[in-house]
Amino acid sequence: MIQAHDSLIVLILGRGLIPVTQLFGLYVLFSGQQGPGGGFVGGVILATSMLLSLLIFGTDASQSRLAHRALHGDGVGLLLFVFVGGLCLIGGGEVLNYAALEIPGLDVAARRYLGIVLTQIGVALDVAVTGVSIVFSLSASNGDSHA
Amino acid sequence: MIRHLPALLFLIPFSVAVSLPLVGVRHRQWCRPLALGAVAAMSALAGLNLIAVLTYGASRYAFGGWAAPIGIEWLNDELAAIIVLTLSLLTLTSLVFAGGTAPRTLGGRVVPFYTLILLQNSALAGVVFAADVFNVFVFLEVAALAGYALVGVSGGRALVSAFRYLILGSLGASLYLLGVGYLYAATGTLSMADLGGRVPEMLASPAIVGGLTFIFLGLAIKMAIMPMHGWLPDAYTHAPEAVSPFLASSVTKVAMIVWIRIMFWVVGPNASIEHIPVITFLDELGAITAVAGALLALTQREIKRMFAYGGISHMGLVLMAVSLGNPTAFAGGVFYLINDAVMQAALFFLAGTAIHQYGARTLDDLGGLRSPAWLTGALILVAMSMVGIPPTGGFFGKWNIILGAIEAGNYFAVGAVILSTLLTLGYFVKLFERLFTGPEPESAPSHATPLSLRVSIASVSAAIILLGVCSDPIVRVLLESALPDGM
Repeated sequence: MIQAHDSLIVLILGRGLIPVTQLFGLYVLFSGQQGPGGGFVGGVILATSMLLSLLIFGTDASQSRLAHRALHGDGVGLLLFVFVGGLCLIGGGEVLNYAALEIPGLDVAARRYLGIVLTQIGVALDVAVTGVSIVFSLSASNGDSHA
Repeated sequence: MIRHLPALLFLIPFSVAVSLPLVGVRHRQWCRPLALGAVAAMSALAGLNLIAVLTYGASRYAFGGWAAPIGIEWLNDELAAIIVLTLSLLTLTSLVFAGGTAPRTLGGRVVPFYTLILLQNSALAGVVFAADVFNVFVFLEVAALAGYALVGVSGGRALVSAFRYLILGSLGASLYLLGVGYLYAATGTLSMADLGGRVPEMLASPAIVGGLTFIFLGLAIKMAIMPMHGWLPDAYTHAPEAVSPFLASSVTKVAMIVWIRIMFWVVGPNASIEHIPVITFLDELGAITAVAGALLALTQREIKRMFAYGGISHMGLVLMAVSLGNPTAFAGGVFYLINDAVMQAALFFLAGTAIHQYGARTLDDLGGLRSPAWLTGALILVAMSMVGIPPTGGFFGKWNIILGAIEAGNYFAVGAVILSTLLTLGYFVKLFERLFTGPEPESAPSHATPLSLRVSIASVSAAIILLGVCSDPIVRVLLESALPDGM
């Protein structure tokens, strides 16, 4: 159980910082194709934005709804990863061989691009959920455990 | 589709494992059928995979279509196919067994239990298939993390054992990774096939010597070779009854398979390893583990702890056998490893049933178990196999190990097998003495034995007989096609 922070400066700064962090996380996630970045780093930054809201506004605040929702997404990211990998298998290639993603109207380069983006989104989701759930379990065991 | 079988063997349990938490939020009762279905499908495919490998020969699977030096590759050969089939069948039986005891021992933790078991099962398949030393590490860690959580899944006293297992297991993984780093620094490759071409010529290099020693020490913790076995008895004793059979039949065995891969596929069977510390006296280390493990089992009062030490003793025998370095001993060792996996599952099924039905945790409580004849019968059968009495699988495993030891001229090893056999006989005599003469409890068990416990115990008992009867073809397959090149 984390309480809201009592400093006005932190609250105001947090309100400005969290959306920027989220945007930057998404940028890192999607720019991983051409430059440094990718699913893992992007996921960590997305998790950071949710953790900021937890630490600044407290676990029960309306701003932390996203973090609570994220907890239910345990495994969704890995499922997405496995789903894309399995689609390649159905397309006749090896697992994760994105060239075998049979999507009409896309050439091989576009298929590879799409496949990598989707698996990276899966990785990012899973990393973000894991980061948030670690904070939730650590904060729960402090006060209100052993009910 | 045949060439994709290794990937499917991993993907099926893995995808079900990650979707169980989502399903389990609303429909907890669906977890068990889904898990059982996934492992049953995996077992069927593993059988198909073994047939395919025996028919078409070994194959390599390149993930993403990228071949070995660039991409990640899996090696699907006879050894891997046999081990994965054993693993998946035993997981299936363990899941059937868990259905009988899980409601009582796990309480509300059913969803994490099935998730972790499937996750560990898929990761262990990955360890067996992986053809490069780094991916072995990754899958070993996934399997180990799931294992730590499984030991502590029901909370209580098991959490302390789980924590100890976590510390020691992480130490083992770190040592393994350190060794892999040394090998990579010296050779510039992680693929087992490439390492196998470079390491034998570089055995004098201090980096290789250090790397191999670290890798062995790391894996020895996972294999629970004495004196690095400290985590195992506590973890298996305090783990929930539904968990211990699965862990006991898989974790140490797969670590042994990894060592066999490193020893014979990377270093090579004919390499001169006399100057490498520790690795030069692996057969002695195995012999010591075999005898000392059985000796420690003799001194135990708790049933599960006794069986855990029995398992340590058998891993020592396997390590000794494969280190003797001739085909007979190698095939005998691998065959004994399969037997040991089945026997460990059977022993912990029986110990779990004793706890679940009769509340019998120590030898003194065993008196109540003599009335159900099927239970006593199964226990006698498993004991026969543990000691090594025909027609059970254990006998033929030990027989081949002794033949291999004689072939190698290593009479110390022959003595160790015989001594550990006598000590194993000793602790089973002690167990049966309590079973047949111990005081009967005042009240009979209040509930009938669930069908799932009977089915799982019956199938492992049948497997023990089957392994004994079919030992000749299995050992022949191991001798003809599962041997490393050059042995």
